[in-house]
Amino acid sequence: MTRCTVTTGFFLLGRCGRAAVAACPGCGRPVCAEHAVQGGYCPSCAAQAGGPPDPHDPSFASAYRRRYYESSSQTYYDNQWYSSFDSYDRGAFNPGDDYSYGEGDFGPDDGTGFVDS
Amino acid sequence: MRHRAAYFAFDRFPSGKGSAVHIAQMADELFERSGGGLLGVLGGGGLPGYQREGAREIVRFEEQIPNLIDRAEAYSAWAAALLREHVESLEIVHVRDPWSALPALTAEDRDYKVVFEVNGLPSIEMGHTWPWASPATLGKIRELERFCLDRCDAVVVPSRVIGDAVRRLGTAAEKVHLVPNGADLPGETARPAGAPDRYVVYVGALQPWQGIDVLLRAFARLGDLADLRLVICSSVPERRAKPVRRLAERLGVADRLDWRFALPHPEVAAWLAHAAVSVAPLTGCARNLDQGCAPLKVIESMAAGVPVVASDLPAVRELMADGEHGRLVPADRPAELARAVRILLEYPGEAAAMGARARARVAGGLTWTRSRARLAEVYRTIAPSDR
Repeated sequence: MTRCTVTTGFFLLGRCGRAAVAACPGCGRPVCAEHAVQGGYCPSCAAQAGGPPDPHDPSFASAYRRRYYESSSQTYYDNQWYSSFDSYDRGAFNPGDDYSYGEGDFGPDDGTGFVDS
Repeated sequence: MRHRAAYFAFDRFPSGKGSAVHIAQMADELFERSGGGLLGVLGGGGLPGYQREGAREIVRFEEQIPNLIDRAEAYSAWAAALLREHVESLEIVHVRDPWSALPALTAEDRDYKVVFEVNGLPSIEMGHTWPWASPATLGKIRELERFCLDRCDAVVVPSRVIGDAVRRLGTAAEKVHLVPNGADLPGETARPAGAPDRYVVYVGALQPWQGIDVLLRAFARLGDLADLRLVICSSVPERRAKPVRRLAERLGVADRLDWRFALPHPEVAAWLAHAAVSVAPLTGCARNLDQGCAPLKVIESMAAGVPVVASDLPAVRELMADGEHGRLVPADRPAELARAVRILLEYPGEAAAMGARARARVAGGLTWTRSRARLAEVYRTIAPSDR
């Protein structure tokens, strides 16, 4: 039996493990009935698509249009702080610089938060 | 999905770090109170970008942007877009850092309250992690902190020292709420596989302010105790340990060390419970003294019933008393640290009594249940749920 491999859990993560009913057309992983979103997509792929993944779905065009107009007309305009940070300020936070410790070796297996107790 | 609550943290979740335990507890309380919620955190390392757990949605920021400020800016924009989607239904947004607080506080038409959890001040801490950042640059980060502290509805701090630091930045005292860190009392744990007969344990990350160099120098002074080993349960991956390993070799203690990397949280509890002594050799630097900290390793060691030898810092004194729950020694003094460890090893009866008292202290006032009740009180004060 193929088992559903969708990641579940809040703090301690595991695999779902229920019997799979479909393979996600996006990433190919087996998905159970509980986790299969419309069209058999896994929750990650469905969320990435940001709406009904099927372009033949009647709501697809309007959802896409709305999303596009929203995102293109509203940029995150921050005149509060980030714009005050110029290239000199930012230059101190490049990874791999000799003395940088915290984020110094930025990589996929590192936690990237800045506060640790 | 409509959410009444959201929690944002510029930190990978879940992970093996103390911060992840803290996020789990705080977000869980918020979501339980609000019947679900949206959790926005950092992803990567094989974590899924999106998860749905009942009424909870977990969304992870996955852009791989090397420069920290560029990454924080992209994260803030990402958080702003997520908040926009839910702006009408949100009642409480809990943020864990200024990069999350900025978009939450500047969102248009916001009707929700913002709880700003301050576990540290980047303007102080980043001076340690990024030594090339100029005072002017850190000053700009301080401005951001001030902006967020001024505008938020409540500030939550894990220790009095951090509370004082926040008040020094001009935050109104009545806005600052103390929600101490906690620990769950672990039950009986089996001895971890490969555990030495007698060992001193260090649990945590390996940044310079943790004082592992002091610990290694102290351990070098215990060379006559041939059966004693030092177990380092590092919460960060192995390649971060390079400088510590080099120092251990130079001091001639490398072969008396046992390393464990990024252990899952329940396994760490077992390593603590079977240790002779747990050490928290935090250094006396600005990060630990001015900014303050709330070392989870101290509380978790106490909960495991193991005597703690820790640096005598105000933030540590809030948690444990010298001679009662373990020993407090001056920071950055290897000889003092070694002496305190040696005495505890020489008097196992007294050490066990300290461990038992430490466990009782956690049971009586430092549990997560109690911390979460305090947090719930903060939520009730700023956003009565009968809205």
